[in-house]
Amino acid sequence: MSNNIATVLSRQDTWRGRSQRLPRRAITTGHNSLDLLLHGGWPISALTELMPQQFGIGELSLLLPTLKYYADNNQLCVWLDPPYQPYAPRLASANIALDKLLVVRSKNYIEWLWAAEQSIRSGALLLAWTKQPSSRYADLRKLQLAAADSGNAAFLFSTPSALSAPSPATMRLELRSLKVNQLLLTVRKQRGVAGGARLELSLGETNTQRTDLALLPADRHRTYPIQQLNN
Amino acid sequence: MLKLDKKSARSDIWLYLHFPLLPLETLLPKIQVEQAQKPIAIMSLQKNIQRVLCCNAQAEAWGVEANLSISTALALCPELEVLPRQIDQEQQLLQQLALVAYSFSPVVILNDTNVWLEISGCQQLFKGYDQLLQELANRLCSQSVTVVNGIGQNPTAAKLLCKSEFETQLPNQAEIRHRLLNTEIRFLKSNRKQQQSFKQLGLNTLGDLLALPRSALSRRFDSELMLTIAQLNNEKPFIAPYFHPANTFHDLIQNPQGIFNKESLLFPMKMLLQRLCQYLMARQCHCREVEWCFEPLIGGSQTMQIQLSSSQNNWSTLLMLSRLQLERLELPRSIEKVILSADQFIEAPMGTFNLDLFDNQKNAQQSHELIDSLNARLGINALSQPILNQDYLPEQASTLVAPGKHSSTVPGEQVKTSQPLWLLSAPAPVQMRNQQLYWRQPLSIISGPERLCGNWWQSEQQRDYYIASDSKGARYWLFRETSSQRWFVHGLFS
Repeated sequence: MSNNIATVLSRQDTWRGRSQRLPRRAITTGHNSLDLLLHGGWPISALTELMPQQFGIGELSLLLPTLKYYADNNQLCVWLDPPYQPYAPRLASANIALDKLLVVRSKNYIEWLWAAEQSIRSGALLLAWTKQPSSRYADLRKLQLAAADSGNAAFLFSTPSALSAPSPATMRLELRSLKVNQLLLTVRKQRGVAGGARLELSLGETNTQRTDLALLPADRHRTYPIQQLNN
Repeated sequence: MLKLDKKSARSDIWLYLHFPLLPLETLLPKIQVEQAQKPIAIMSLQKNIQRVLCCNAQAEAWGVEANLSISTALALCPELEVLPRQIDQEQQLLQQLALVAYSFSPVVILNDTNVWLEISGCQQLFKGYDQLLQELANRLCSQSVTVVNGIGQNPTAAKLLCKSEFETQLPNQAEIRHRLLNTEIRFLKSNRKQQQSFKQLGLNTLGDLLALPRSALSRRFDSELMLTIAQLNNEKPFIAPYFHPANTFHDLIQNPQGIFNKESLLFPMKMLLQRLCQYLMARQCHCREVEWCFEPLIGGSQTMQIQLSSSQNNWSTLLMLSRLQLERLELPRSIEKVILSADQFIEAPMGTFNLDLFDNQKNAQQSHELIDSLNARLGINALSQPILNQDYLPEQASTLVAPGKHSSTVPGEQVKTSQPLWLLSAPAPVQMRNQQLYWRQPLSIISGPERLCGNWWQSEQQRDYYIASDSKGARYWLFRETSSQRWFVHGLFS
C-alpha cells in the first residue's frame, strides 16, 4: 500500500495541496490590471480557455497585443475556425503583419483537433474556436500537452456553457460585458491560485458622437431642390 | 564535347564503371538475384537469334554463359528461367547510376551500358581517392546493382583495365601503366583477322603492341585500331558528350503484382522521393512542387500534387506531406505504377547552413512547414490569409487569399473612426421591429454615421455606417444603404 502511494507521489502530474506553483512564464496582455489579475499575463506553454458570453463584446481585442507580439517575432498566428472573417484594415491599424495570420477552416472535429495540435507543435500562436458545445476532456488535454511541450500560448474560445464540464486548460476565463466597452473578467480556473477573482476592464472610451446627416458628403441618391444647391 | 589535351591528360584519373548484371538487376533487385535458387537468364535478340545476355551464378554453374543461343542454354539447363530484356527500364536505371556518379565528379560520360567518370579534381572533397572510391562503391551498392571498375589514365585504358571486382585502392601512375602494358592483347577491341595478325606477330600483351613503331602498325592495321592506340597513349582525345542530369524529373516504380493498400504505397514513394532528392542534389536545385501519379492496371490514373510553400530538398518532409495528402485521396483498388514527376525547380540558396544566431529563420521555416502540412491534410481551400486592398467598400478592402499569394502589406493609413475586428462574409439584413433595429436582438445606435461611397463607376453604392450595441454591450457595425434605405449588419466589434 505504502509502495503504491510512493509511486503516485513520484509522478509529475500528482497535485499536492501544498504546492503553490504558478506558471513560470507569461506574456503580457497589454493591460496592466489584467496582467495583475493573471499573475503576469497570459501563460505560455499552456492552453487558455476564454469563454465570452457572446461574440462582439471585445473578447478578441484582448488578444491584439499578443497577436502583434507573435507576428513581430515572425511566428505564425493560426485562426482556426473563426466565427466570422477577420477584418484586415482593423488588424493592419493595430500594426499586425497580415502575412503572419493564417485562417484555417476545418471540415470536421477530427480535422479541427489535428490542425490545432499541429499548429501548437509547430511554434504558432493558436486561436481556436470550437463549433461544438463542449470538446472532450482527453482531446483538450492533448492540446494542453502540446502547448506545454512547444512553449507557446494557445487560446481556445468556447461558450460559458462549457463551464459545467471540467477542462484541462491551465487557465479559464469567463468574459461578460457589463455595458459597451466594459468587460467583466472572471477567473474560473488558474493553476496554483484559487479561482473566482474578478476584474472590470475598460476597453477604451466609447465614442457616442453622432454626426448630422447634413454634414455628410452629398447623398447621390437624393434629389436636392435647386435653390438649396444655389445657397 | 570532351576534348582531352595532352598536358591535362597526364594527371587525369578515369574510372570505368561496368555493371555486368545490369539487364538482370533491372528486373530483380540484387539481393533477389543473389538469393535466387533457380537459374535465371536474360535474353535479347542479336542477329535474329535469341541469345543469352547475362545470367546469374546458378545458371553459370550449369554452364550457361553470355552469347549462347537460347536453345543451347535450355539444352544445357532445362530449368533455366528466361526473361526478356527491358531496355527502357535498363536505361532508366543507368541514368540513375550516372546521377550517383555525377554527385562525385562533374565529368561523367554515359554510353549504352557503361559509365565513366574522371575523378582527378575531387580528392579534396572526399579526403583522398581511397575514401572517394569507397564512398562511390557504397553508394552504387545501395542502388542494388553489381558493379566492377577499372582505373586508367584515359577512358579507353580504364575500360581495358576493368577488373572483376570493385577496386577501392587507387594504384599509382606507374602501377597503372604497368598493368596496362601487361594486359593481354585479346582484350583489345579488334576483329578476328586482327587477332590473328597479333598472334602471327607474336604479340601477347598490349606492351608488345605499343612497343612497335607506329608507322609499321599503321601499315598493318586499320585506322580504328590506330585511334585506340593513340588514345591509350593519351595522344588523341576520347570524344564523347558529358552526362548532364535531365531538365525535368520523371521516374516511376512498377509493381506488376499491384499494390492494394496505401501503407504499401509508401515504400515505392519513399524510394522515388529519395531518387528525386539525389537528382535535386546533383542539379543543386530545390523543388516547389511535385506530382504523383498512381496508375492502376485497368482504368484511369489518379494524380496528386504536393505544393510547398518554400522550396526544399528533403525527402522525409516530402514523404510526410505526400502521406498526409494520400490519406484524403480516393485511389483505384490496385496500383501498378507509381510515377513521380517534378519540373519546377529553383536554384538552391547558397550556404544552406543556418548561421543566423537568432531564431527568426527557424520560425519562418517552421511556419512554412506548418502551412505545408495543413495544406496537405486539409486541402488548399481550407487555408487563407487576410489581405488589405485599397478600396472603399469594406468587403473589398479586406479579402481572404490563399497563403503565399500575399503581396507585401499595403501600409494602412491610420483610420480615424473605429473599425470592427469581425466582418460578416456578406452583409446581413436588419429587421425593423417597432421602430427599432433588430438583428438577433434589439440594437440601438451609439454613434455615426460615416458615409462611404465606393465604386461609383460600377454600382452606385453609398452607405452610412453606424455603430450600434445590444442590451448586453456587444457592438455591431451597421450600415444603411442610401439608395434603398435598408439596414444591414456588416461586422462585429470584438
